[in-house]
Amino acid sequence: MEGSSTATMGRDEPHLAPRRRLLPGIALVVVLAAALVLPQLTTNQFYIHLANLMLLNSIFAVSLGLIASVGQISLGHAAFVAAGAYVSALAALSFKLPPILGIVLAGLVTGLAAVLLGKILLRLRGVYFVLVTFLAGQVFTLIVLNWESVTHGANGLLGIPAISIFGLPLSTRLRFYYFALAAFIIVVTFVWALMRSQYGRAFRSIAENVRLAESSGIDVSHYQIVAFALGSGIAGAAGAAMVHYIRFLSPDSFTFNDSIAYITMLVVGGRHTMIGGVLGALFLTPLPELLRGFVGAQHIIYGVILLCVLLFIPNGLVSIGRSFFSKGSETETPK
Amino acid sequence: MDYSILLAQAVLNGLVIGAMYMLMAVGFTLVFGIMRVVNFAHGEFYMLGAFTGFFTYVYWEIPFVVCLLIAALTIGILGMLVERTLIQPFRSDEMSGMIATLAISVIIQNGAVSLWGPQPRAMPDIVTGTLAIGPFSFPWSRLVVIAAAALIFTAFWLFMQRTRLGRAMRAVAQDTETALIQGIRVNYIYPLAFGMSVALAALAGALMGPVFSVSPFVGLTPMLKAFVVVILGGLGSVPGAVVGGLLLGMIESFTATIFGSLVSDILQLLLVILILLVRPAGLLGQREA
Repeated sequence: MEGSSTATMGRDEPHLAPRRRLLPGIALVVVLAAALVLPQLTTNQFYIHLANLMLLNSIFAVSLGLIASVGQISLGHAAFVAAGAYVSALAALSFKLPPILGIVLAGLVTGLAAVLLGKILLRLRGVYFVLVTFLAGQVFTLIVLNWESVTHGANGLLGIPAISIFGLPLSTRLRFYYFALAAFIIVVTFVWALMRSQYGRAFRSIAENVRLAESSGIDVSHYQIVAFALGSGIAGAAGAAMVHYIRFLSPDSFTFNDSIAYITMLVVGGRHTMIGGVLGALFLTPLPELLRGFVGAQHIIYGVILLCVLLFIPNGLVSIGRSFFSKGSETETPK
Repeated sequence: MDYSILLAQAVLNGLVIGAMYMLMAVGFTLVFGIMRVVNFAHGEFYMLGAFTGFFTYVYWEIPFVVCLLIAALTIGILGMLVERTLIQPFRSDEMSGMIATLAISVIIQNGAVSLWGPQPRAMPDIVTGTLAIGPFSFPWSRLVVIAAAALIFTAFWLFMQRTRLGRAMRAVAQDTETALIQGIRVNYIYPLAFGMSVALAALAGALMGPVFSVSPFVGLTPMLKAFVVVILGGLGSVPGAVVGGLLLGMIESFTATIFGSLVSDILQLLLVILILLVRPAGLLGQREA
């Protein structure tokens, strides 16, 4: 169950031999260089669009993983993404707020909303929390649909401006790609640092055993609210970034199905590690394109993949990679 | 005069949807009580039941009672298979089990779309005519739904209270380990409970087919309402599901008459969130140990 989280997480601790830290370092540099150069080599706009979606989905999945790292699964994650998108889009359309500030605003507003909601909702644990986040997501969709004077209801918002940095509009896919890449690196670095800090240790201990953590003097509700607020805030900011890229927003843009998609990414990648969400997003986002031949069967295949991963590789794709890299040289602590 | 007719209409509609919510919620809560699984695919079994009822009734032209039986049996057996193969592996892990039901839901719904297309189909009423009492007239098609739901629930209740199997199920719900010690075969109880649960959902779907339309997407709303009902009544509590179902049907019917259905939906969901905060285990539910 949750017990495996420490086994996998513990491997990031700094007491590993220097030789073992070199290899991931080189790999990281190579991947980064490839991420910077590769888009320049293709003229196919569609591939770049796909890469943008992969980066954004990674952020969504990682932010959900942050919430899940305290042992709570949110089924309303898409609502926070949508909330951030609406905040920034409306601010840009009504008050001419520059999108780059809108993204910050969206992150702050959704993060703050998550603090307030979290104070109430996080009193519930396990399935009750899942159910109530599901219902909260539905409430949000209904309110957006109904509040036509502001949100334009089902018609949605058109003409949302693109992000512009120092007067340079990120109106092409390639320009947005570098923005998304930067955002992705910032988010991943932030979450990585967070999980290595005292907060990360507290999160993991809560996920492993709430009562034990509580009786060890860890303020469970404080850490759960922090994780919920940070995860939701990141999701809101990323939602805002996405809406300035897609430049159209309606109540159908981010729905319950997207919440499920984020969970699928997280679970398929590996829900006990931060990098799991990234792997899941990188694997699942382009998948529909590879399945173009099976029109209509895409969602079914998604569901089947999710089931198979749950059944056969419960710790996600990450666990395959780990067992591959650590073959022979590792003294893996069993669960 | 006008108001009393409106009132009677609202009560009747409230009873019809309340009866449906009751059937949905009873099955949903049964599975949670016994297996600790939140079944996110519950609505899809409702949808499958609606389609089974539709095809058997419209194409085979057999009596509706037989259609109901076919729907309950086929979907019930399908549910048992699903439980045995896809849900049982996650017995010790609530979260993974729940995510598995999400996946099952996605597969069933999209499977239905590719098999039967996304467009809604209208199903003819099973009975016509109205029952006139004084100034009020009630369509028989609605009254039949209420009566059938009441009958189905009574049968379910008698089964749970009076038969050995029903008692065994309740024992497992109370304490799985103690039930095992008493010689109850939990491995048989689980698929059976799941099958019964989704058979109830299928019956609700088949009954509501003529009232609403039949499409691959009809399962979401009843499932949402089942969530609302079991939170109102307490996860795992069958009496809570009955009271909650009827109560929610009434609340929905009246608020929809007064404010419109969208506001009614928002109000219901807010009400649930409120109740969860005051009584986290639901109105009639027991606090989890």
